[in-house]
Amino acid sequence: MEITPRDRFWMNFKLFQLVRFTVLNLKILKGVNASKRS
Amino acid sequence: MARIAIIGAGFAGHTAALYLGDKLGKGHEVTVINRLEQFSYVPSWVWVGVGRMPLAKTQFALRPVYRKFGIRFIVGRATEIHPDERYVAVEPADGNPADARVDYDYLVVATGPKLDFAGTPGLGPDGGFTESICTGPHAEHARDRYLAEVDRLKQGEKRRFVVGTGHPGATCQGAAFEYITNLHKDLVRRGLRDQVDLLWLSNERAVGDFGVRGVHIKRGGKIVSSAEFIGAAFKEYGIRHQVRTGVSEVTADAIHWEDYDGASGETPYDFAMLIPRFLGQPLKVVDREGNDASGEVLAPNGLVKVDARYGLPYEELIRTPEAWPERYQNPRYPEIFAAGIAFAPPGPVSEPHVNPNGMSITAAAPRTGMVSGIIGRVVALNIVDLVKRGKMTHGERMTEMYAACIASMGDSLWDGSAATIMIYPVVPDFRRYPNEEGRDLFVTHMEMGLAGAWMKRMLHTTFIHKLKGGIGWRFIPE
Repeated sequence: MEITPRDRFWMNFKLFQLVRFTVLNLKILKGVNASKRS
Repeated sequence: MARIAIIGAGFAGHTAALYLGDKLGKGHEVTVINRLEQFSYVPSWVWVGVGRMPLAKTQFALRPVYRKFGIRFIVGRATEIHPDERYVAVEPADGNPADARVDYDYLVVATGPKLDFAGTPGLGPDGGFTESICTGPHAEHARDRYLAEVDRLKQGEKRRFVVGTGHPGATCQGAAFEYITNLHKDLVRRGLRDQVDLLWLSNERAVGDFGVRGVHIKRGGKIVSSAEFIGAAFKEYGIRHQVRTGVSEVTADAIHWEDYDGASGETPYDFAMLIPRFLGQPLKVVDREGNDASGEVLAPNGLVKVDARYGLPYEELIRTPEAWPERYQNPRYPEIFAAGIAFAPPGPVSEPHVNPNGMSITAAAPRTGMVSGIIGRVVALNIVDLVKRGKMTHGERMTEMYAACIASMGDSLWDGSAATIMIYPVVPDFRRYPNEEGRDLFVTHMEMGLAGAWMKRMLHTTFIHKLKGGIGWRFIPE
């Protein structure tokens, strides 16, 4: 597996990374809520 | 009135203290014993170690926080646990005799690790030759040594930096990974990267193992492993790697090691940051008659025995999710709990290996900040249950636990990066997830990019806010 020029572009494209930032935060919150035991 | 004593104010102990102080209120006594006056946000020491963040920005005073929560705070060293008489012997930093004995109804041992530099001759900055980012002063020392190297590089010298694990049984490869990638980014920023040979040297079975048997995700219809993912990152950053290696000794100019096949070798270096093995803190356990009762409470490595199933061979351990503790409670003294790195895991998560010379080269199981915080919360809520209802209702094994880990690969908010890894469960459960990985492949996730760098920086600010007991602290996950 290699990091391609296309990968490099998306990894630093600010608007796309802003979307990923939101998605990752939501994924983490979802995962945390799913695994909490009462 | 219940009396709860907590030894240690790291992620696990401090989290436990906040929940106990919050839920029990002034009618009960919660006492925290910690060697330092301040809480340290350890994950940011990677940045301290490359000179990108001052140490002071990673720490805050504990006393005002504990005052707010009605928690008694003793700065000092816990030396002995007397479980039959239920008290902790303390050496208070200010010598106040009133703080030399802390009686308890419930005890939380959350000491964090003893950094076993002595386990590898020549390891560590205090009397050894290598650097560390495992304590605040060590991270500052690493920074100063690194900047001295930068000065030599500016004179045109070529140097070799080695980063990884300094003992065949070490853990915390994630922190070392962050350090080597941040070194890379800093050297690139300074225009000096071409003069440095960066080498990753670790006890992992493969790159990206991180002591959790690696991570696997579904991407474009196929399974991608963290070995490929991290391997690609190392290739991108021009970082060489040597895994399956157990460091046996460090001298002034070389790192001595053995590998999986029993071959030995030496790697010359100019600057090295190697993580030591983690053991339990040197707490003595003394019974009613004054005899050493450590065997009842502590495993041979000094970590606290809990409700885990110990002694299973690896092949059986990985198929037995209930071997991992649920309540983190000592079986002999059920009023004693251990949280965070202080509890003795039932074994490694990653596959162990013993080479033909008898050296066990096995990445130990990590307990990251998030996992430590979760365990601290579970232990605290169970103690609250016992005080209020006489019965525990909380539990979470690492085979049920979700963890997110964000490994910085460059701190810049403009062109930095981080690997964001979500893993569920932390310890594979092949019964619930009968695939090759033992994990939920819909939830387990890995990606790299600038968003991770933003998240890593956000975590620094958010967690310090949470751990100061700031507004909404309860709603921020551990």
